[in-house]
Amino acid sequence: MENKFHLIKLLKEVLKSLKKEDYSKLKNLSNELVHESSIDQDPDIISVAVIIYSLSKIIERQFYKNYKEWYKFYKNYLESISRAIKNLEKNEIEEFRTEIALIRGSLKSLNGDLKEYMQDIFRKASINKASKIYEHGISMGKTAKILGISIWELAEFAGQSPSGEINLAVTLPINKRIKIAEDFFK
Amino acid sequence: MKKYLIFDSGPLINFAMNGLLPVLEKLKKDFDGDFLITKEVKSEIIDYPSTIKKYELESLQLENLLKKEIIKLGDLTEKQINELRIKRENLMNIANNTFFSNNKSIHLLDKGECAALALYQILEGEKLLVIDERTTRMLCENPENLKKLLEKKLHSKISANKKNYNFFKDFKIIRSTELAFIANKKGFIEIEDSRILDALLYALKIRGCSISEEEIEEIKKLN
Repeated sequence: MENKFHLIKLLKEVLKSLKKEDYSKLKNLSNELVHESSIDQDPDIISVAVIIYSLSKIIERQFYKNYKEWYKFYKNYLESISRAIKNLEKNEIEEFRTEIALIRGSLKSLNGDLKEYMQDIFRKASINKASKIYEHGISMGKTAKILGISIWELAEFAGQSPSGEINLAVTLPINKRIKIAEDFFK
Repeated sequence: MKKYLIFDSGPLINFAMNGLLPVLEKLKKDFDGDFLITKEVKSEIIDYPSTIKKYELESLQLENLLKKEIIKLGDLTEKQINELRIKRENLMNIANNTFFSNNKSIHLLDKGECAALALYQILEGEKLLVIDERTTRMLCENPENLKKLLEKKLHSKISANKKNYNFFKDFKIIRSTELAFIANKKGFIEIEDSRILDALLYALKIRGCSISEEEIEEIKKLN
């Protein structure tokens, strides 16, 4: 894990932002992590980005606090992130990865509506992060695989994201491409 | 000479999500050749989404097209299947070792996209690929633009093994939007309204076809 020190710093920022309930900062931290992960495509780091983004959405919506199970679940989350930071500081990379897997698996311990809401938030967070990676130039199939989502979900989201790089993506004059299609269907 | 239109998963997903599969069926019936998919694309458009309630209906509709042989799995011999697997892995390896950031290769393509490219290489006859996503098309048609896109998005200097560009330069590609244009021109869209082409093209763009608004406006002028 090459960017270990940066990841430690970022996770510490995450803890601070969680305490301040600064969901906007959390979203930025998540996007920063995805941006840096587009080259390495380390699934655990991308999972961390999904977790951070999910937490930002949870905090933004507030009403989760009304669920009885919420505080215990949230406390476990914070403890897991603290442990993950310590693992990285001690260079215990495998333990760090186990901790991230535990956070991902913690949804299974929930019940009822909260479980459904949380699963929905994590799913949407994965799709959001996938669309960011696709924007970075990675193919749709590859991106869907990295995030463990379907191309169907990604296609819906990617098509609605504005792209500022549209001129680069125009790789053949449109009249030529139409001509190719017309000739083929003659 | 036999004709093959080879689909990546994106355009079929796009047609399905927009309720345009009957249009695809009409296009096929009017076409003197085969609409082909690979087993990797079948998995992406039928097998996997059939397990997700949100997409189950569309996946069943696509499966129905497969049963009716509107779309077909490439009819390959055992030797060709092995050849396809080797070519798929080779293309994926080349694509994923073409661009580098800080000496690290950037993995761009996955099996599904590379299998469609491999099938194109194996088949003899007149061939055309239908791909909606941007990266594979850019790698084939203008890899330098893809390099610039990566540099811009990753905020990093990208180096390229330009010899690899040659492996991708011979693929001919259209998108779901060009298919929709043809379908409209042939009268396969049963809505008589001057706005229909605009509506079709934007619907396909919104569900994942990489096309610019400027291109859409130009297509409309060609109608």
